[in-house]
Amino acid sequence: MTARPTYTIPVGPLHVALEEPMYFHIDVEGETVRGVDIRAGHVHRGIEYLTAKRSITQNVVLTERICALCSNSHPETFVMACEEIAGLEIPPRAAYLRVIAAEIKRIASHLFNVGILAHLTGYDTLFMHAMQVREIMQDVKETLFGNRMDIAAMCIGGVRYDLDEEMKAFLSASLDRLAPEADALVETYRRNGTILRRSKGVGVLAKDQAVACAVVGPVARACGLGYDVRTAAPYAAYDRLNVAVPTHADGDVWSRAMIRLTEIGASVALIRQCLRDLPDGPVRLADRPDIPAGRAMGKCEAPRGELVYFLKTNGADEPERVKWRVPSFPNWDALRFMLKDAKIADIAIIVNSIDPCVSCTER
Amino acid sequence: MTGLPETLQFQLTAAAPSGIDYSSSTSLHGVVTFWCGLADSEEILAVGKALLAAGARLAMVSALQPSAPEQDEPEDNDTAEAERSGKEAPKTFGGTPLDSKSYEIDYHFVLGGDFLTVIAYVPHGGSIPSLTPLFRSADWPERDMMEEFAIVVRDHPDPRRLFLDPAIDGAVLERLIPYSTLVNAASTKALWDKVLAAKRGAS
Repeated sequence: MTARPTYTIPVGPLHVALEEPMYFHIDVEGETVRGVDIRAGHVHRGIEYLTAKRSITQNVVLTERICALCSNSHPETFVMACEEIAGLEIPPRAAYLRVIAAEIKRIASHLFNVGILAHLTGYDTLFMHAMQVREIMQDVKETLFGNRMDIAAMCIGGVRYDLDEEMKAFLSASLDRLAPEADALVETYRRNGTILRRSKGVGVLAKDQAVACAVVGPVARACGLGYDVRTAAPYAAYDRLNVAVPTHADGDVWSRAMIRLTEIGASVALIRQCLRDLPDGPVRLADRPDIPAGRAMGKCEAPRGELVYFLKTNGADEPERVKWRVPSFPNWDALRFMLKDAKIADIAIIVNSIDPCVSCTER
Repeated sequence: MTGLPETLQFQLTAAAPSGIDYSSSTSLHGVVTFWCGLADSEEILAVGKALLAAGARLAMVSALQPSAPEQDEPEDNDTAEAERSGKEAPKTFGGTPLDSKSYEIDYHFVLGGDFLTVIAYVPHGGSIPSLTPLFRSADWPERDMMEEFAIVVRDHPDPRRLFLDPAIDGAVLERLIPYSTLVNAASTKALWDKVLAAKRGAS
């Protein structure tokens, strides 16, 4: 008996799942994937180099440009590292406002990803519906922050925005509109045959493989790893809030989508808690603080998982070193397990299920 | 949060007999960050094994060239005295010269919710063993580090370029790269040729 011939097909770098470039070198046997090599670097922009040429304050602006969907998480973690070095305690109101900004971005990011899943299954009506629901949060961002993606909410020592009674009422009313729509989406993804057939049991990542790849965020939580920075290493006001961390055991595409859908409801609940408990007082420290020489780590739970920053300063205006690791960075590796023995037709759905961010990964 | 077992400091000391420089800081939320400098960078492998056994996850690897500490300008007679007393250049923990060229490699591990950063110092032109055989998640960070700096990572199973094309010179963070090169401004050569042709035409 002769062995079946294997072929190598290129997937990408353009239009694998999103309009971001990543190249997959895939060995196939018939319709089945046997091996994957991931080749990165198509949108490498040298931002890490630029951070050493900008002042620490300018870097708050620069880091927000690393990624669009988790744009707020980058400056948030960077300023946390700065505050750690300078020993600054942000005002209580600022801590709650940081949570509100982060959770608004999380809802918008998760809705985008589950919407793309519907698009890739060919269910474009559901895709457009998810994007329409997401539009509520886009309007919230535009109204609260003046921008739909880069919201410029963070600064060293607090936040750059405040909520008056009118804004709080608008945010609250928007959540009231969004919550039933999000609940309906959860039910659709739970029951719809098209979604279930294309995502249940597809792209499975076992728990031990998840540990080996060191995956984070919804990808890890869909494999039963209950790690969430908001509860494991609380920051901002998360230690005063009731943070729900959903987990699933199956580790397939559907479980990852359900984690994100469940987290949308959890984020709505968090924002409502913040609006209820929002303390009075200043939103940032009065003086722009000097950042002395030192080193610090910062981490937060971005929509895609744990975002890590390392900052080393030497007393100069420019940082000596800024290094960050985005949640997508370790999650790419898990695709080697998820794509093994998958069908060619499922490649895009599986790639999308890690909610990959290429511009984040390559900087 | 106390993700770090109390016995771990002893395990780290046992894994790195040349010596460790151990410190920690606690955030306002009670999250602890541990720092552990190694006197001998070769001991990173033994330390990695101890941390793997303790269930640590390697989250990130940062490399940098720490700046040399500023020194007061010595007066003439001080210089002669310093030379006589054999005054040496500043050094890191473990004795690697702090000359703005040597490397500091920070391995950021997560245990529970806490960070433990193991710091290895490597002189310029030096090398360090790969942690990828122990931690899958060291693969990309080490390849990233190898293209950013002229650090040799020994025994890496797949030492290809990660983000940068093989045609680009290595150690990009050790060089000043003109912005036009960074953004591949060669594509505007046609415009530049036109400018030069117009200049020739005018003269």
